[in-house]
Amino acid sequence: MLALADVHTYYGSIRALKGVSLTVEPREIVTLIGANGAGKTTTLRTILGAVRPAQGAVTFNGQRVDGLATDRIVRLGIAQSPEGRRIFPRMTVMENLEMGAFARADHDGIAADLERVLTLFPRLKERIGQKGGTLSGGEQQMLAIGRALMARPSLLLLDEPSMGLSPILVEAIFKIVQDINRQGTTILLVEQNARMALRVAHRGYVIQTGRIVLHDAASELLRSDLVRKTYLGEK
Amino acid sequence: MEWWEVLVQQTINGLTRGAVFALIALGYTMVYGIIELINFAHGDVFMLGLFISLAWFSLFGISSTLGLWQLVTLLPLVFVLTMLSTAAINVSIDRVAYRPLRRSTRLAPLITAIGVSFMLENLALLWKGPAPIAYPDVFPSVDILREWFGVDSAIFITTKDILVVGATIPLMIALNYFVTRTRWGKAMRATAQDRETAQAMGIDVERTILVTFLVGGALAGAAGLIQGLYYNIGMWWMGYQAGLRAFTAAVLGGIGNMPGAALGGLVIGFLSAWSDQYISARWTNAIVFSILILVLVFRPQGLLGDRTPEKV
Amino acid sequence: MILLTAFVVAYPFIDRALGFQTVHAVSDGMIYVLLALGLNIVVGYAGLLDLGYAAFFAIGAYAMGLLNSPVLGSPLYGHAWSFWLCIWLAAAVSAGLGTLIGAPTLRVRGDYLAIITLGFGEIIPVAIRNLGDITIEIGGWRPIERLNLTGGENGVNPVGRPYLPGVPFETDPMPWYYLILVIGALSLWAMSRLQDSRLGRAWMAIREDETAADCTGVNPITTKLLAFALGASFSGFAGSVYAAKLQAITPGAFEFQVSIMLLCMVVLGGAGTLHGAILGAMLITVFDRVILAETTFFARWVGKSLGVSWLAAVDLTLWRWFFFGLGLVLVMLLRPQGLAGRARQPARPAEIDDRVDPAPTAAPRREAIPAWLRERVHAQAGDGAGPILQVRGLAKRFGGVVALNDVDLVVPRGGIVGLIGPNGAGKTTFFNVVTGLVSPDGGAITFEGRSLVGLRPNAIVGRGIARTFQSIRLFANMTVRENVLVGEHCRLQSSVPGAVLRPPAVRAEEARARERAQSLLAFVGLGDKGDDLARNLPYGDQRRLEIARALATEPRLLLLDEPTAGMNPRETDTLTELIGLLRRELGLAVLLIEHDMQVVMSISDRITVLDYGTRIAEGTPAEIQRHPRVIEAYLGTGYEPDAIAPSGTR
Repeated sequence: MLALADVHTYYGSIRALKGVSLTVEPREIVTLIGANGAGKTTTLRTILGAVRPAQGAVTFNGQRVDGLATDRIVRLGIAQSPEGRRIFPRMTVMENLEMGAFARADHDGIAADLERVLTLFPRLKERIGQKGGTLSGGEQQMLAIGRALMARPSLLLLDEPSMGLSPILVEAIFKIVQDINRQGTTILLVEQNARMALRVAHRGYVIQTGRIVLHDAASELLRSDLVRKTYLGEK
Repeated sequence: MEWWEVLVQQTINGLTRGAVFALIALGYTMVYGIIELINFAHGDVFMLGLFISLAWFSLFGISSTLGLWQLVTLLPLVFVLTMLSTAAINVSIDRVAYRPLRRSTRLAPLITAIGVSFMLENLALLWKGPAPIAYPDVFPSVDILREWFGVDSAIFITTKDILVVGATIPLMIALNYFVTRTRWGKAMRATAQDRETAQAMGIDVERTILVTFLVGGALAGAAGLIQGLYYNIGMWWMGYQAGLRAFTAAVLGGIGNMPGAALGGLVIGFLSAWSDQYISARWTNAIVFSILILVLVFRPQGLLGDRTPEKV
Repeated sequence: MILLTAFVVAYPFIDRALGFQTVHAVSDGMIYVLLALGLNIVVGYAGLLDLGYAAFFAIGAYAMGLLNSPVLGSPLYGHAWSFWLCIWLAAAVSAGLGTLIGAPTLRVRGDYLAIITLGFGEIIPVAIRNLGDITIEIGGWRPIERLNLTGGENGVNPVGRPYLPGVPFETDPMPWYYLILVIGALSLWAMSRLQDSRLGRAWMAIREDETAADCTGVNPITTKLLAFALGASFSGFAGSVYAAKLQAITPGAFEFQVSIMLLCMVVLGGAGTLHGAILGAMLITVFDRVILAETTFFARWVGKSLGVSWLAAVDLTLWRWFFFGLGLVLVMLLRPQGLAGRARQPARPAEIDDRVDPAPTAAPRREAIPAWLRERVHAQAGDGAGPILQVRGLAKRFGGVVALNDVDLVVPRGGIVGLIGPNGAGKTTFFNVVTGLVSPDGGAITFEGRSLVGLRPNAIVGRGIARTFQSIRLFANMTVRENVLVGEHCRLQSSVPGAVLRPPAVRAEEARARERAQSLLAFVGLGDKGDDLARNLPYGDQRRLEIARALATEPRLLLLDEPTAGMNPRETDTLTELIGLLRRELGLAVLLIEHDMQVVMSISDRITVLDYGTRIAEGTPAEIQRHPRVIEAYLGTGYEPDAIAPSGTR
């Protein structure tokens, strides 16, 4: 469904991605893990068109998307829960969710999805009229994911959903991630919390200073010692 | 007049001035909220609103006070036409002069905006000449207290004051509805709060900016028409002064904050009227600009605004 | 150049011979050139958009007018030296006003600052107009009645003329022409001296990147203030000559439009260069005085010939503001650097292919360490036994988010300490607090025994801490050598008089500074690239330059923020060697944030680990690699094994 082929991207004058290639097949959960600064968020930004790759190609469902404007890419069926949540602070929970469905025109479908999201995240239903900026970190994360789901995407990009959350909340979020996947959404999960991500994913890529250094089935990566060594710099 | 009668009169003056300032200030604050540009030419769009409305009136052959029937049909028509004209002008300015500089520094579009302002002022000067132009007394001016209520007072409230309030309030209500309930309005707010994320929702940012200029321009046009109907006079340089006072209002209320702009407009309206009366009209400009400077230096987020810190 | 000078000097005679009678207009034009030069300092050098510059023009004119006129009974009027003294007084008054206005407002953001200057530009003419007739009445008491401070709407008239024995300054334009020419030439000379001095470099650094300049030892506030005050003083000069020449000044001559016309000159010609300001001023003046009028004649002639009535009656001089506005818009859209300016671009990204090094730069060697640097660093090192940097209980909160929570950290003398932690752990915030960009909410920071809390970033540089940035922040449009010279700013002394007059002491200082810069460049391997623009350097060289610039501040502690970001393995090794060399030979202590774990583990003596703003571990690299909390922070916990069933393979 999604393919990156030998992508090089710059962040200012720094080459953040040095030839990244990865694929995501339909109905999978693929995780991209690595220490921070390794290039995980840059990868997602490249996919979404926030930055243009200097070299390489990004394909979605067979169509080249590198070089397209973000709002066009999004309308092709990709949605994101960004790093740091980035919900609209002065808009209500309801309005944030509505924004997620901005690109859609099917009112019945939107209403149905709204129900679905609020059932998935009952806490959001409680706070439906509250302004986004007043929610707690965990609630904001739920809102960010819910907002992304409102687009009814075929591919959902999750950027560090565990950041800043307590272990219990992290568990809850990841359980929901699995549910969403079972209901048919393909997921590319970017995480620093390697163990949790590998538990939840089918396959994993490990990125280090802009390059993919490990790629295997998630269960294999979980078992091996390589991930820890990569993260903590042992040779 | 007794001292309290003077005060009430000046307060009413302040209200009518304030309403006009509020309409203009909203345009400044909306544009700043979404692209962080001080649209220096906005005051001149207000001035053009007055001039253009005059042109529409002449086109319809109106040069004297309207009768009741005409008030109900022709006046709203001229309102709509004027607002559309100024909206179009505002959008064109953005397309031609500001849009190419979207990714530039913050100062480059400001310099361009100053250039556009001068061009507009000079065009108005050439169009109608340097002298103040007379705006026909289209709207009837009836002393309400005396003729409707039979009250004999030195205070002068007219139907024109009703016009100002009666035109401004629906506009603000409509604006509020637009911003809080409609798709485009929400897109505007989302883009102003987080442009990149708004794009990730599928919002076409450029089109949203276009809508912002459209709405801001329309409001400025309405303000110009109201100004002409009320004061019966227009000057090619009025945009500069009104623009700066309205900008001060926007900053005072909190730049980027729409209720703040409306509030700021009223406050500046009152302050300028009281200053004219109690200090001297010669000093009012200096006083308003002093307020502007003090707010920008000591409380840049204004009365109602959130602070937007510089990122390191 | 010489031809031009000769032409300019001989012009009045040419004019007389040809009967043009333009010398008066040209003299007025030269006054505007002088004003544009002054504005160029503020806008072009320091990058401050000043929309109220005419206010200083007014102040200069009125200062001259009031000091040197019988209208207010000034004792200075009527002497042979009146004019010559008052011109300096007027400039001083303008400079003083500039300082007064600048001091509170220069901290404000660029576009707001522009509006504030516009505000002052409006307030001052209003004040001048209305201070001609001041009456204060309180109750029935009138302490001040009809006080005339400025001549009010009528202005000041007459104003004393300059006096030179044998030279009449009356209606003949020639003496005025030469007077203004001399003043202009002196101003140009002074400005070119300023441009190429410690102060000039500081201005350019601030214009390029104020935060980086601050962290390189340049005090942005005083530097901007100097620009503002100097710009104001030139305007004061111009205003006072203008007043004397016109013999009368009224408030109407100093309106907002004048400020904008001056801005047009600077923007059109090219802000930041002397040629640009002069070119812009001349072009605009010629356009305004000559071209519009001539084109009107032409258009009317065409109109009459063709029988087109509106064309026959057109008056293009009424269009001047339209054209000025159009000029501003076109320049911004098409050529923002102006006609004579240098195209300013941000630094370019590195080459795509890093597998082939264009010319591998040699690794630094210990012999190449500049001797002066060795001396300076050792001389100031002192012989304290304690740690060089001691941080205790550092706390910082941004709104509701805790960025730093009671953090302790110690950097021993000559030690290398690594600072690591997952995303959002607070590492860069830590650097920002230590270097003074952000003020802490609590805790103590001591460097060589003295507290750093509350000091400005440039003061902290002066104490001996230098820093590099995660995304390289060089002064892109300055040369490599200039970048390093800015680093030396806090170790040099010269100021405005020294820059302009260049006494031997200042010349010697500059020469020494350049030698030192060159030796630093040679040390990091950029010795032959001194004249290249920083933005054209390949990526690895940019990092090297940043380090050279940091070394130029003569630090005893280096804070490196992700120095190997984006580097290939070979460059990374070179950098690691350099850091080791600096520690061994110079005794420099290093604190580095790094994500490349291999680098951190191999180079650090000790490592501190942050997670969510809290220090979770401290120890040797080997200890850290085995530390359970660190592993957990980076990799995540296992939680309960059954809580989430692994998705397994599909």
